[in-house]
Amino acid sequence: MNYDNPELRDQLAAEYVLGTMPRLVRRRFERLLAGEPALRRAVEEWSGRLGPIDEAADTEEPPPHVWRRIEQRLALPGTGSAAVPRTGTAGLTSRGGSWFGSLAFWRGATLAAAAAALALLYIAVRPAPPSTVVAVLSDDKGEPGWVALATAGRGNLSVAAVRPVALDQAHALELWVIAGGKPQPLGLLTPQPGRPLLVEAALVPRDGVLAVSLEPAGGSPTGLPTGPVQYKGPVLPHAP
Amino acid sequence: MPQQDVRQATESPLVLQELLRKTARGDAEAFALLYRKTAGKLYAVAIRIAGRGELAEDALQECFVTIWRRAADYDPTRGAAMSWLTAIARNCTLDRLRRLGARPEGHAAPVEALERIAAPDDSERGAQMRALRSCLDELDETPRRAVLLAYLYGLTREELATHLAVPVGTVKSWIRRSLGRLKQCLDA
Repeated sequence: MNYDNPELRDQLAAEYVLGTMPRLVRRRFERLLAGEPALRRAVEEWSGRLGPIDEAADTEEPPPHVWRRIEQRLALPGTGSAAVPRTGTAGLTSRGGSWFGSLAFWRGATLAAAAAALALLYIAVRPAPPSTVVAVLSDDKGEPGWVALATAGRGNLSVAAVRPVALDQAHALELWVIAGGKPQPLGLLTPQPGRPLLVEAALVPRDGVLAVSLEPAGGSPTGLPTGPVQYKGPVLPHAP
Repeated sequence: MPQQDVRQATESPLVLQELLRKTARGDAEAFALLYRKTAGKLYAVAIRIAGRGELAEDALQECFVTIWRRAADYDPTRGAAMSWLTAIARNCTLDRLRRLGARPEGHAAPVEALERIAAPDDSERGAQMRALRSCLDELDETPRRAVLLAYLYGLTREELATHLAVPVGTVKSWIRRSLGRLKQCLDA
């Protein structure tokens, strides 16, 4: 379907927000949203139009076991539940072994560059639960530019710059996943460390490759990469 | 006094925005506070769509798991934090309801429900609500009913067709046309 047609886009977004799409159409639509910023905007606009109905609604006190289950499921730190995760940096440093194992996959990256990337990562993810490297995206000289991390207990990957990347106002850096067929867009990256793009983990298969292309501001107008691929990296075999 | 309760439950957008930002960084305390401040409203939305019971409780649970995981996706330049949270609550509840393939019995008349929740106040939200109501009033009566039943109670096209005793195709075109007119009226 052609999502460049604003009228169609708006119609689909409206029916999605209203909730009348059949279940499977709804699912498919949600998968599309990740790679279609204009569609996402249309959904946000419709949520804004109809949202006042919900916001004006009364409140209801949820039973206390709902919060206890949320705490348990997410194994929130400091909540006294059975599976309290190690917080802070423990997840990164105490797993030194497996981290070093993964360094072998940093193809072409010098150990110094890898160490610098790790140092930045360390800052970027410090307050979060333990994370695992899913992919390191390097430029054609083998310098790592971006890293994709999976965080325990979260269904998404965060993809962030390991160092500031130069980018002018007229351009954007778009992330893609390639797994067999055509590249699928995952979103626009922020060229600063510590400001990750979150991507549904399910969209990135184990045998996939992540790539970053230079696109006009706002992202590729065609849904496929139009500019040069500046960084790429395979999904590491041990990725969760 | 219900009016007062609603006001107390209406949090400053900046407070929620800040709590979401901290939640995105893995701050469990901020997340717990966010729950305390918003769960009541989101639970009310879940109950309205899924009825009181396990389904609404599960949906609320799922909703906050999603909020924890996706807090970093929230972009304050593109809408209020409460709208973002409410959209997640709606989606979680609708997903559960659709997966179950069944729905709880007993829907109040939606226009009445809307009257009840639309108590005017002076906030910007009150103004938005008034605008929405006057635009809804411009729709034909049965199509308006279809739109409200869908939004308030999560009825599918098929359920709407049964409820309003018209073919599914009619429901589809009513909804499409009504949403188009609503947009025109609201964006005018």
